[in-house]
Amino acid sequence: MREKIIFALAAVSGTILAWNMNTIFNKLPDELNQGAIYRIIYFHVPANILGMLGFGLALLFSIGFLMTKDLRYDALAVSVTEVSLVFAAIGLATGSIWARIIWGVWWVWDARLTSWLACWLIFAGYLLLRRAVDEANQRARFGAVVSILGTVNAYISYKSIEWWNTQHPQPVLSIRNGGGMAPGMEPPLYWNLLALMCLAAILIMVRMRQEIFAREIDTLRRLAHSH
Amino acid sequence: MNQNIQYMLYGLMAAWLIVVLYVVHLTLRENRLRKELDRVRRMVESGEKRQ
Repeated sequence: MREKIIFALAAVSGTILAWNMNTIFNKLPDELNQGAIYRIIYFHVPANILGMLGFGLALLFSIGFLMTKDLRYDALAVSVTEVSLVFAAIGLATGSIWARIIWGVWWVWDARLTSWLACWLIFAGYLLLRRAVDEANQRARFGAVVSILGTVNAYISYKSIEWWNTQHPQPVLSIRNGGGMAPGMEPPLYWNLLALMCLAAILIMVRMRQEIFAREIDTLRRLAHSH
Repeated sequence: MNQNIQYMLYGLMAAWLIVVLYVVHLTLRENRLRKELDRVRRMVESGEKRQ
């Protein structure tokens, strides 16, 4: 069943991406001020949205673990966090490449970029911390605390472009009262978000299966040592 | 090639490269875990036979 869902999601994601790439590269015109480079937004914004949503979801699973001590919540939290970190890395990398052309520099230490990088480092630290702790319950508890801290930082990063005057552009999407994009340019961004969301779901399911394998190995090892 | 278009392509390549590297990482880890699971299962089975 899991394999069928993965194949279905891959088909949906691939179809939307192929159709949407045609729209983005062949049908949409260049942006008046930025030229062709503005098209990076179709990956940069969905990747960052998925990163932020993922960290928020991992927070819920982490709280679920702290309340119930059920390790399945921890497995979900680590799977979602790892995949969200990949999408946050895409957001950081594509943003930096866009900045090189538009701002003339690869990076500036403004509130949005700095807080998002800090967030990425916190969640990278979350994964490293988990490797350092052997006992499963302790590992899950430490991870949950770091996840809560990291998600607070993710929320600060999300709001930073409203709270402070940053070099990073203010909200452009109409769902965030931005309205900085021409009407025809906005829908392909949501289609890409949907396609990448399907891709994220696939990666989380595969990662989750690995977490189940790892737990089974732990259990069998304990059984082998008890013989 | 126009530098603007060149950097747009770099952006796209960077995005997909990160995804591909992660998928490769996932695949390698999955193979390692499957092998380890088989090894530990055999270890447990041989322990049970001895008993």
